[in-house]
Amino acid sequence: MAAVTAPTLPGVAGEEPTRLHVSDYLRWSVDHKIIGVQYMATALFFFIFGGALAMLIRWELLTPAIDLMADGQAYNSLFSIHGTVMIFLWIIPMIAGLGNYLVPLMLGAKDMAFPWLNAFAFWLIPPAGMLMILGYFVGQTEAGWTSYPPLSTLFSGDGQTLWALSLHLLGISSILGSINFIVTIRNMRPAGMGYFQMPLFVWAVLATSIIVVMATPFLAGALTLLILDRVAGTAFFNPAQGGDVLLWQNVFWFYSHPAVYIMVLPAFGVISELLAVHSRKPVFGYRAIALSSMAIALVGFTVWAHHMFTSLTPELRIPFMITSMIIAVPTGIKVFSWLGTIWGGKIHFTSAMLFALSFLSMFVIGGISGVMLGSVPWDIHVHDTYFVVSHLHFVLFGGSVLAIYGGIYHWFPKITGRMLDERLGKIHFWITYPAFFLTFFPMHLAGMLGMPRRVAQYAPEFQTLNVIISIAAFVLGISTFILLYNIVWSLYHGEKASANPWRALTLEWATSSPPPSTNFIGDPVPFPNPYGYGTEAAYNYVESQNKKYGTVNPADYLPAEKSTAVTSE
Amino acid sequence: MAAIEQHVEHEHGHASPQARLENLKFATWLYLASEVIIFTVLIATYVVFSLNNRDVVHEVHEKAGIMLVAFNTFLLLASSWAMVMGLRQLKLGNRQGLISWISLTALLGVIFVSLQYVEYRTLSDAGVVLFYSGGALSEFGMRFYAPTAFHGAHVIVGVLWALFIIWNARRGNYSATNYAGVEIFGLYWHFVDVVWIFLFTFIYLI
Ligand SMILES: [Cu+2]
Repeated sequence: MAAVTAPTLPGVAGEEPTRLHVSDYLRWSVDHKIIGVQYMATALFFFIFGGALAMLIRWELLTPAIDLMADGQAYNSLFSIHGTVMIFLWIIPMIAGLGNYLVPLMLGAKDMAFPWLNAFAFWLIPPAGMLMILGYFVGQTEAGWTSYPPLSTLFSGDGQTLWALSLHLLGISSILGSINFIVTIRNMRPAGMGYFQMPLFVWAVLATSIIVVMATPFLAGALTLLILDRVAGTAFFNPAQGGDVLLWQNVFWFYSHPAVYIMVLPAFGVISELLAVHSRKPVFGYRAIALSSMAIALVGFTVWAHHMFTSLTPELRIPFMITSMIIAVPTGIKVFSWLGTIWGGKIHFTSAMLFALSFLSMFVIGGISGVMLGSVPWDIHVHDTYFVVSHLHFVLFGGSVLAIYGGIYHWFPKITGRMLDERLGKIHFWITYPAFFLTFFPMHLAGMLGMPRRVAQYAPEFQTLNVIISIAAFVLGISTFILLYNIVWSLYHGEKASANPWRALTLEWATSSPPPSTNFIGDPVPFPNPYGYGTEAAYNYVESQNKKYGTVNPADYLPAEKSTAVTSE
Repeated sequence: MAAIEQHVEHEHGHASPQARLENLKFATWLYLASEVIIFTVLIATYVVFSLNNRDVVHEVHEKAGIMLVAFNTFLLLASSWAMVMGLRQLKLGNRQGLISWISLTALLGVIFVSLQYVEYRTLSDAGVVLFYSGGALSEFGMRFYAPTAFHGAHVIVGVLWALFIIWNARRGNYSATNYAGVEIFGLYWHFVDVVWIFLFTFIYLI
């Protein structure tokens, strides 16, 4: 990160302007804004690493034979590390970074509840990431990101042990981070902000953090047993020695299904912010969106065995099929609320908004293929095929990553004080969107035709499909560099951002861009409705934020009687 | 640079002392909730095995006897009681009382871990070992040692924490109105105690 300068704010005599240099991001700091950027920069690094592995996977799959990789085992560690890195070192830390930067600002707080703990949680990630990369180069991390025994205990080597240790550290990091979020959100809201006046992103982070605290320890427990099996000679997962392979599957999915929501709920939160701000309309169904996050968090714990339809006692399939169908309902409620939000709005097609809209379309496809997989007969047909690969990429790339892209375009001005280039942003979008679709949609077909996942060799009749997928994947990979170039270019040459360039009502915009080290000058007062767009009060409030320094009191702009006059805003 | 760092540190530790304590207590509860889940995984692993292998469990019970563990359980309960007494003394303004009672807590914790070691020695001599060495006893062993040793590690951490509390108290850092540090340690210590009650019930009584 290059030099980012906060403007000197009048009225705070003697306060030095915070001049942050790249070296400020390379060492211990307890400022949530620095920690947030540290998370995001680290995550972007691992995104590139995981992306490079994805490119190698697609390169290998250009032909039906094994030609790029030395053997099947090398290919196994390729997709195992790709999956693990993308989930645990890209999406989860990236979201933690956004949350760290934004949650205290959105609450008008000066920092998180536990600044030191916050820094500690972040600094567990770089060593964990190094263990993971080391695991790749040591080799024999061959059991996929799910690491089912006996593959992960009997057949794979030292890389697998490093994998487990790395994941253990990452789990501890996320639990500590989430405890911090929950305490911050519960205890540090400003006067005038009840739970139902919180921005929806904060709601999403709250729901996510509850899931992390309740679910990640299951992963920690399972990993502890796995590590004991690998290094201490126990046999928890080895049936030949009195162990139980299903133990891992049950405990792992009891964590990992909720983990999908750990990655997707914050994306939902980002989308709720973006859609309202960029279509200048109040969120439709605020409570429905807020509470459906909680519903998802709860029901998410009852569906885990839909990942085990082929290994489970048949009588248990139907109950898990039913719960898996039910969990689609709160997600559906959100989708309808979002559509209601943009319906009739004055949509500004900014890069952030384009990504938010692309999220809506692509995530719905991922959701529908999820419901298909949740029904037992279909699941058994496409079990362990590319249909599953397609589904999870529509959810995690079409869902989480597209939302993260939108979030980057939306909050970059706040974080750095400069706008991202909109023209490059649109080029990025118009390459990413079709390339994403062409990469992952044909995988549905390959899966339905019976192409198994996690293989380097496949039947020759699938080659046409795979060549199309690989070419689209290469384009998708290249399109990422447009974003990275835009970030670096805009840091130095981007247009200077005002305090509130998108004219949003949430509190993170009620301070300078970037915010001073104490976030706000004085105690900010939240606008009564964080999504009250379209009123004269909102218009005047936002106007004044961009015209004068310091925090603005909404009371000065709220009419004495409630006015519903809609301006051109 | 150091000056800036301190400035930031100061600004960001900004909340009022009362609010900070509320935050700390709430965070401790959340942390303990996540610990409960890790223990649940380990205990469940044992319970599933023990329900399916009653004969092995009976064999181990005959070999080990219950007297030592019962005494150990009593020690841990007593240490929780000493913890409560220490906190009460502190609230009455008696800092020396706090130090004595917490020292007793730590001492009982040390005896607990030592006796657990004695029990491990007895069991491993009888063939109940951690690593798989063939036979039902080692199948029992790994499922027995994982949760109890994990609990033992928590007791050791608790003893170190108690020593830290004593060190703090001797420096005069607690008083009748400033006892949250002791209270939070108390939450942890009671948790360790309650987990043991579950372990004792599932492993030794059933
Ligand atoms: Cu699932």
